Amino acid sequence: MRLFHLLCTIALAGAATGANADGSVTIVGWGGTWNDAYKAGVTDPFTAATGTAVTLDEWDGSLARIRAMIESGAVSYDVVSVEAPQLAIGCDEGLFLPLPEAVKANAEHYLPGTIHDCGMASDTWATVLVYDGSKLAEGPKSWADFWDVEKFPGKRGMLGQALYTLENALLADGVAPAEVYSVLRTPEGVDRAFAKLDQIKPHVVWWNSSSTAIQNLDSGEVVMTDMYNGRVTYDNENNGKNYQIVWEAGFFYGTDMWAVVADSPNAEAGKAFLEFFAVPENQAGFPRLYGYGTGDNRVYDLLTQEQRDRLPTSPSRIGYGAAYDSEFWAENQEALEQRFKTWLSQ
Amino acid sequence: MMRPAPAGWTATLRGQAPWLAMVAPLVIFVIVTVIVPVAMFLFRAVDNSDLRDSLSATSAALADWSLADGQPPEPAFAALIADLAAAQEAGRAAALAARLNQAVPGTRTTILKTARAAASGTLDPADPRGAVLAAGKAWENPALWSVIAQERGRLTGYYLLASLDLQRNPDGSIGKVPAETALFLTILWRTIGISLAVTAICALLALPVAHVIASAPPRLAGLLLAMVLLPLWTSLLVRTVAWIILLQGEGPVNGALQWLGAISEPLRLVYTRGSLVVTMVQVLLPLMILPVLSVLKRIPPGYMRAARSLGAPWWTAWRRVQLPMILPGLLTGSGIVFVFALGYYITPTLIGGPGDQMLSSFIVFYTDKTLNWGLAAALSVQLLAVLALAALLVAGVRRLAAGRVAG
Repeated sequence: MRLFHLLCTIALAGAATGANADGSVTIVGWGGTWNDAYKAGVTDPFTAATGTAVTLDEWDGSLARIRAMIESGAVSYDVVSVEAPQLAIGCDEGLFLPLPEAVKANAEHYLPGTIHDCGMASDTWATVLVYDGSKLAEGPKSWADFWDVEKFPGKRGMLGQALYTLENALLADGVAPAEVYSVLRTPEGVDRAFAKLDQIKPHVVWWNSSSTAIQNLDSGEVVMTDMYNGRVTYDNENNGKNYQIVWEAGFFYGTDMWAVVADSPNAEAGKAFLEFFAVPENQAGFPRLYGYGTGDNRVYDLLTQEQRDRLPTSPSRIGYGAAYDSEFWAENQEALEQRFKTWLSQ
Repeated sequence: MMRPAPAGWTATLRGQAPWLAMVAPLVIFVIVTVIVPVAMFLFRAVDNSDLRDSLSATSAALADWSLADGQPPEPAFAALIADLAAAQEAGRAAALAARLNQAVPGTRTTILKTARAAASGTLDPADPRGAVLAAGKAWENPALWSVIAQERGRLTGYYLLASLDLQRNPDGSIGKVPAETALFLTILWRTIGISLAVTAICALLALPVAHVIASAPPRLAGLLLAMVLLPLWTSLLVRTVAWIILLQGEGPVNGALQWLGAISEPLRLVYTRGSLVVTMVQVLLPLMILPVLSVLKRIPPGYMRAARSLGAPWWTAWRRVQLPMILPGLLTGSGIVFVFALGYYITPTLIGGPGDQMLSSFIVFYTDKTLNWGLAAALSVQLLAVLALAALLVAGVRRLAAGRVAG
């Protein structure tokens, strides 16, 4: 495969201009306001404390990009924020370096699913049940209400993929959040989730992008929808909306993970960044500015009540939710997405 | 028709040498940066090295075993422990686990765990069967063993079969996958159907537009041509989002219909198959108009007039005189539009519903999200096969039409 590597190198040469070790570090996040908050809250303080210059880049979370960089020997990212299931796959493939020991030593303080052999949470977010408080005086209280089209007539918005949707279906069927994955791990459990989805299918407007979903809620096209909590908070705070999150209906929180890319030219600076971020006071810099939480539960003591109220993983919320099981999805995502897309096409 | 005088190909080449030298960099560039990498990626559709490199001893030990024999023989378990330990040490265990998990979902964690245990020597060599079965329940699944037994060649048909909703049964025969996961043929027909519809609508719309531009006075023709080209200079994303705004529930189209009293409730126009086709037509239409226009401009207007003056009704004159001469342009345009439409990915994601996603978005899913490059390559092969068929079809129709015009 040497020829393939050579060709990949040529193909990536244009993109790989930052691939040299010069005491700086390239950190890659999700872009937009997420990067803004990280810059002000975490990476600027990191530069101030260590003198290491940070280039804050953005990407789409594509593992294929990391694999191609490593195969071609032109790694231009040092630290990336990657979704937890992709971290699990990439870690087994050797695409990411093991977490520094100094960070791992804090594992006991981390929420379930927010620390891994190769990474630590960069942010935690949740998919929650949302309705428009300016349209519904008496809103739904549970995922069973979400399914109840007699009590709450109208269409529902749902994300058009198996991940998140199967979990919500089981919540609606009366499964407790903590039990959902033991049910989904059996073939009968998967059938049960699809049977529940059959009930709501005619009433669903499926969405692909969160902007679409929020717009459908805003225009009244749907009366309630599943949604990322950060997006809801953002619209309430910046666009004067009155969207209500039904936390007590139950929710699943997901984690994006900071990980150092294998063969990264500035791996030492990358590890130093993870060690810096592992200090609770430094970690709190992000949730102070953004509606997403982090992994170390000591961070929440450093936040104001108002800041805590925005976060799915704060002590008052987390009892209603459970962590997405990234090992389950790393094993079953292909098979379940294929079945889900087939089901949608019928 | 003028034909070049017959000559030996060496003579022809010598005469063309300066030109060949000038295209050589382009040809080499395309071969190095496109053809070779694409071919190597497509090879992953049949590449079985992940399994073969890692489990050769195990599959050899299973050579005489079949599912009907029940549990695999004792030596297979011992070979498995040795194979997994070697794979773990060589850093191939993850690729192996990913490959087996594709064939038998839910086995990945067990395989990785067993490989780690095998490499660290904690699996009791005195009782390999007991040690392996204790390492994880997945090893009790005969389907897993039967995949290892079947897939021992350099090449595998697994991905190509999967991309056609087929699978190899444990007894070695080829059968359909269960109906609840039979997805890819549906997607293939959907992709071809949408592309054909877009091509046909583009052709119907391009004919009158090209005709008007060809027969307009030069100044007006220039203006009309600029209007055709304008969308080509706008980003695809902007054009797609513009359609979302136009068609949404409270958008201008619904507003106008309601104001006219044609409807009382806003119609659902966006995130449907219709909105997807409309957007793709708007984006691709210039690629149909330009080739049609270029042939139309070369047809002297006298031909139509002559046919009419000899008594042919307009429709007959157009069909028998004009259309055969436009056909080459129409075929070129159709070929370009169809090929572009087949690969569409961003537009269906933004403006289609989940039932309107095309083949490319599944290729992206397997490439990016699950790193199943084998299946991504198999689906790409499918797309390439459709392209090749379309090219053959266009060439065939062109030859047929040329024969009819000449005769």
